Amino acid sequence: MSGKDEQQKDAGGWDYIWNPRTNEFLGRTAKSWGLILSFYLVFYLFLAGMFVFTMYVMLLTLDDFTPTNQDRLVTPGLMIRPRGELLELRFSPENTETWDAHAQSLDTFLEPYDDIYQAQTNDDCVPDQFFIQEDSVEVRNHPKRSCQFNRTVLEECSGLQDRSYGYQSGQPCVLIKLNRVIGMLPGKEGLSPYVTCASKKEDVNLGQLAYFPSNAAFNLMYYPYYGKRAQVNYTQPLVAVKFMNLTMNQDVAVECVVVSNTIAPGAERDKFAGRVSFKLRVSDQ
Amino acid sequence: MFEMDGDGKGKKSKKEKKKERLEGMKKEMDIDDHEITIEELEMRYDTSIKKGLTSSFASQVLERDGPNALRPPKGTPEYVKFARQLAGGLQCLMWVAASICFIAFGIELARGNLASFDNLYLAITLISVVVVTGCFGYYQEFKSTNIIASFKNLVPQQALVIRDGQKNQINAVDLVVGDLVEIKGGDGVPADIRIIFAQGCKVDNSSLTGESEPQSKTPECTHENPLETRNIAFFSTTCLEGVANGIVINTGDRTIIGRIASLASGVGNEKTPIAIEIEHFVDIIASLAIAFGFTFFVVAMFIGYEFLEAMIFFMAIVVAYVPEGLLATVTVCLSLTAKRLARKNCVVKNLEAVETLGSTSVICSDKTGTLTQNRMTVAHLWFDNHVHAADTTEDQSGQSFDQSSETWRALARIAGLCNRAVFRPDQEGLPVPRRLVVGDASETALLKFTELTIGNIMVYRDRFNKVVEVPFNSTNKFQLSVHELEDPMDLRYLLVMKGAPERILERCSTILIKGQELSMDEHLKESFQTAQMDLGGLGERVLGFCYVYLNEKEFPRGYKFDSDEMNFTTSDLCFAGLISMIDPPRATVPDAVMKCRTAGIRVVMVTGDHPITARAIAANVGIISEGSETVEDIAIRKRIPVEQVNKSDARACVINGGQLKDMSSEDLDEALRSHPEMVFARTSPQQKLIIVESCQRLGSIVAVTGDGVNDSPALKKADIGIAMGIAGSDAAKNAADMILLDDNFASIVTGVEQGRLIFDNLKKSIAYTLTKNIPELTPYLIYITVSVPLPLGCITILFIELATDIYPSVSLAYEKAESDIMNLKPRNPRRDRLVNEALAAYSYFQIGAIQSFAGFTDYFSAMAQEGWYPLMCVGLRAHWENVHLQDMQDSYGQEWTFGQRLYQQYTCYTVFFVSIEICQISDVLIRKTRRLSVFQQGFFRNKVLVSAIVFQLLLGNLLCYCPGMPNIFNFMPIRVQWWFIPVPYGILIFVYDEIRKLGVRRNPGSWWDKELYY
Repeated sequence: MSGKDEQQKDAGGWDYIWNPRTNEFLGRTAKSWGLILSFYLVFYLFLAGMFVFTMYVMLLTLDDFTPTNQDRLVTPGLMIRPRGELLELRFSPENTETWDAHAQSLDTFLEPYDDIYQAQTNDDCVPDQFFIQEDSVEVRNHPKRSCQFNRTVLEECSGLQDRSYGYQSGQPCVLIKLNRVIGMLPGKEGLSPYVTCASKKEDVNLGQLAYFPSNAAFNLMYYPYYGKRAQVNYTQPLVAVKFMNLTMNQDVAVECVVVSNTIAPGAERDKFAGRVSFKLRVSDQ
Repeated sequence: MFEMDGDGKGKKSKKEKKKERLEGMKKEMDIDDHEITIEELEMRYDTSIKKGLTSSFASQVLERDGPNALRPPKGTPEYVKFARQLAGGLQCLMWVAASICFIAFGIELARGNLASFDNLYLAITLISVVVVTGCFGYYQEFKSTNIIASFKNLVPQQALVIRDGQKNQINAVDLVVGDLVEIKGGDGVPADIRIIFAQGCKVDNSSLTGESEPQSKTPECTHENPLETRNIAFFSTTCLEGVANGIVINTGDRTIIGRIASLASGVGNEKTPIAIEIEHFVDIIASLAIAFGFTFFVVAMFIGYEFLEAMIFFMAIVVAYVPEGLLATVTVCLSLTAKRLARKNCVVKNLEAVETLGSTSVICSDKTGTLTQNRMTVAHLWFDNHVHAADTTEDQSGQSFDQSSETWRALARIAGLCNRAVFRPDQEGLPVPRRLVVGDASETALLKFTELTIGNIMVYRDRFNKVVEVPFNSTNKFQLSVHELEDPMDLRYLLVMKGAPERILERCSTILIKGQELSMDEHLKESFQTAQMDLGGLGERVLGFCYVYLNEKEFPRGYKFDSDEMNFTTSDLCFAGLISMIDPPRATVPDAVMKCRTAGIRVVMVTGDHPITARAIAANVGIISEGSETVEDIAIRKRIPVEQVNKSDARACVINGGQLKDMSSEDLDEALRSHPEMVFARTSPQQKLIIVESCQRLGSIVAVTGDGVNDSPALKKADIGIAMGIAGSDAAKNAADMILLDDNFASIVTGVEQGRLIFDNLKKSIAYTLTKNIPELTPYLIYITVSVPLPLGCITILFIELATDIYPSVSLAYEKAESDIMNLKPRNPRRDRLVNEALAAYSYFQIGAIQSFAGFTDYFSAMAQEGWYPLMCVGLRAHWENVHLQDMQDSYGQEWTFGQRLYQQYTCYTVFFVSIEICQISDVLIRKTRRLSVFQQGFFRNKVLVSAIVFQLLLGNLLCYCPGMPNIFNFMPIRVQWWFIPVPYGILIFVYDEIRKLGVRRNPGSWWDKELYY
């Protein structure tokens, strides 16, 4: 304390910031400030240069089409459409406003799946086997082709016959998609991964479920995925689940799991690796 | 601020109280118990000099006055000490951070959108960090206090008291005023006693006044000052010989010694320089942390973050910027040095005192027992008209003189025979100088001297049967004895005599020169006078020796010698020589004083002893160097009056207590300023205090050494008090910060060296610790401003601060000195700060900046290689941290769940952590030296540092690759290549620092040196 007081006395209060006697600002003259600032300017320019250079070298080592590592993506995530608010779908069939947004988002989501569009851009592939398009050694084989996934495959949940995707009748459709991971081969021996949904709580009955396509599978022909740059028109396969008779006015926690003979079950902590949980509630008004 | 002000007031009022007490003490000194008659004394204390007190009355008085013991100074209660450890500047910040975490956790919990328990964990971690470091600091403090507790003498002192007319042995604590007590040689005086009867009683007052000479005690009042009078014996002094009876006049804290002790506890303990330094920079860091945190709080609010988020940012910035491990590091470094010193017999009571010695610029040293051996020893002999020097070293390793002369044999025989001192039994194994002796100081010196030169003096004495002896008394000032001769055929008696030289000379008519008895002529008398003056001038106590063979016819065998009548020849004796004695300096002291001088430390002697002795010893050990003169010397040499001497010509100055009394504090400051070599003699405890204060006024950091109770106020006042472990009294040890177990002044030099070394090394350690705060802070700044996914988490930061980097920063304490630190001046506490601008700027803005770049390079690489290009990362934060977004697309079109992103974020934490670690390895290597090249210092010479680096790497690997880490501490098993990405930056740090050091070495005083040397 006393030291500080003395210093202030010596410097006469504000002199520490601007000392008119020596023309010092914060203890340095203009020349001194100039020198030290230019030193730091050079220093940081050099450092920034080194940083940019190392980043440049690092970027050169990257492949434009496939990521260097996929350490985190061992188990692909599962996701639903419509997403709802915080993965909760609450609606009442009579009240159009409550589900209109869901239906609209599904419309938008399914637009690229229109059969005509699919026929124009994508191939009709051989089902139940991987659609492998290897690069040759010198030449990249791209743009790579993608397989058709026609909206009609979703039948009742395609939104073509029932524009409300079943929401109006209290039998909501939920689309399930498997997250895209480059190079992933989600099944072997011709067995496609399929989705199965169940209630999270044993005492709550989900009622009858209908899957579209009926085997609830992501067909192998849609794999592997080659990345958005090589496979521009990739169409992600979907599985639709239709909840045929949900109990009214009851929260239903649903968990859908992807079953495959190659995909490892996801980590305990990640609630969305290889599975997806969401809540449904159909209320009568 | 408010609290601090309150504190200041508290201190002031304490000071006032102390002043009052000081005044009170002076008044109370005016006791008249020594002046009144014994009858009055009996009346005053309702006692009787025959029967003593009655037991019942004594117990009443005991109840009234309390036990006769010094109340130990009131210590700070343990819980206050502990609380203090938890309430430092940095700790308070951590408390704030922890509470923000708790609040954030609480709000999230209440809102029901709890993403993770991270905030709760962080709060708990922060609190445990504060508590654990607090416990650690408390333990260190506790340990050093405990060392002292073990010094306390727990054996209760006994006293022989007469109550109801009966002699009883009771515990001295039960003594009361008015008690009649008996003391005899060897006893400690149990209270302040008015002597009413004494027989040959001598008391050693050295613990009270520092005087090495025993004082004889008699019933007569000889001086109005109670300290000077002979009829009072003081508590805690020792009776050396004789017996005495007396009435207790004061007990416990009311005794003289009790008052001095309470004076000591009234003196405020000065803050140590290192504590000031640490406080200074903790203040800076704390205010910077708050400033940073607040700025970014405002920035975050401005950008549009929620209030709660902005608070969390504030907390995170505080956690990142505050060097949590620093205080622990400093404590460990200091305690390592303390341990090293303890091995060299310096026990440090207060850890911070370790460094204080290093910045010491003045040592005020006591003489007796510190500079000297505290044991009278024969120093010179004068015979055959020559002065011969005796060996005064403690271990008899010095040169001896020529012992072939006949005169020497005669002199030695007198010294051996005319001596009443005897060795205590059963000490054959001990070296002669350390044996215990019954007898006064000069007789002891002569006994040991003759034992060493003649050998087996007790047997020698037996061969010369003693017939009669006259002991020394103050009126005749000589001692004589008559012996039968060794040769049974020779029937003459031998009379040997020693005493004050003039008195002996008066009785001599002849003198022994080279075995020849010559008659004493004027010429010889003159050379005798010169020799006596010379030896006296050296501060030595001179004794003359003479002998005569008594005439066989006049004194035949069986002659009845009468010691009272002295019915035998005591004149016309033959003079043999002079022997002079002194309490000689310890062998190691002159060298140590010399070293202090080269180290720029001034040694001032402050003693209670006589000016002549003090000066002689000062000259002997080099406190007054050869050729230095005092004002008085110059006056004599130039033959001019003292007033005309130009004071600045005199390097040396001897001031005694009397002169000091008349000097104002300005005069004293002036004297200390103008004379580099100072000796203070005959000083009182208060005067010692004044001298120390004066030195401190002149800006010096003062070390005081001492052993007596009289030194304890000065020891307390000094920046560092050094007490003697063997000779020191408990009061001195209590007041001191450091204790020299071997009472060796030379240990102080070791202490100074270690103190300077630890200051340098602490600088390095702190520089190392501060550096990484920048790469810990920048991730947050970038995170807030550019919205990239968070590169480094708070828990990871705490791991760097408190786990991986602690050992390396401590290992810097083992670094050897870069240059000969003992040839430098002591640091200027105003200018040479522990943490200066250059150190902070270099650590923060240069090395810290490089480390940040290393971290970000590694971070962006890890992100890019997993699929997130650098430019994509910018602005990614909001989506990245959206808990409900489970299919977020990366640069390649892959979709990520929140959990996958979170683990990717942990990977980034780990990668950033690894970058900081790699750079810190480089950092610890460059911090080995501040000026020299690391190659000059030696890469592997500091083995601890090498093992610290290995430890750091192993711990880093353990954290990364131990299973379960991701979910507990957010560490991920990262790919091996990410360990190597920061390596170029590590090399850059090393090369850049070598260039810096080269510039500093090559161009001292240049711009480069000024800006970049810390």
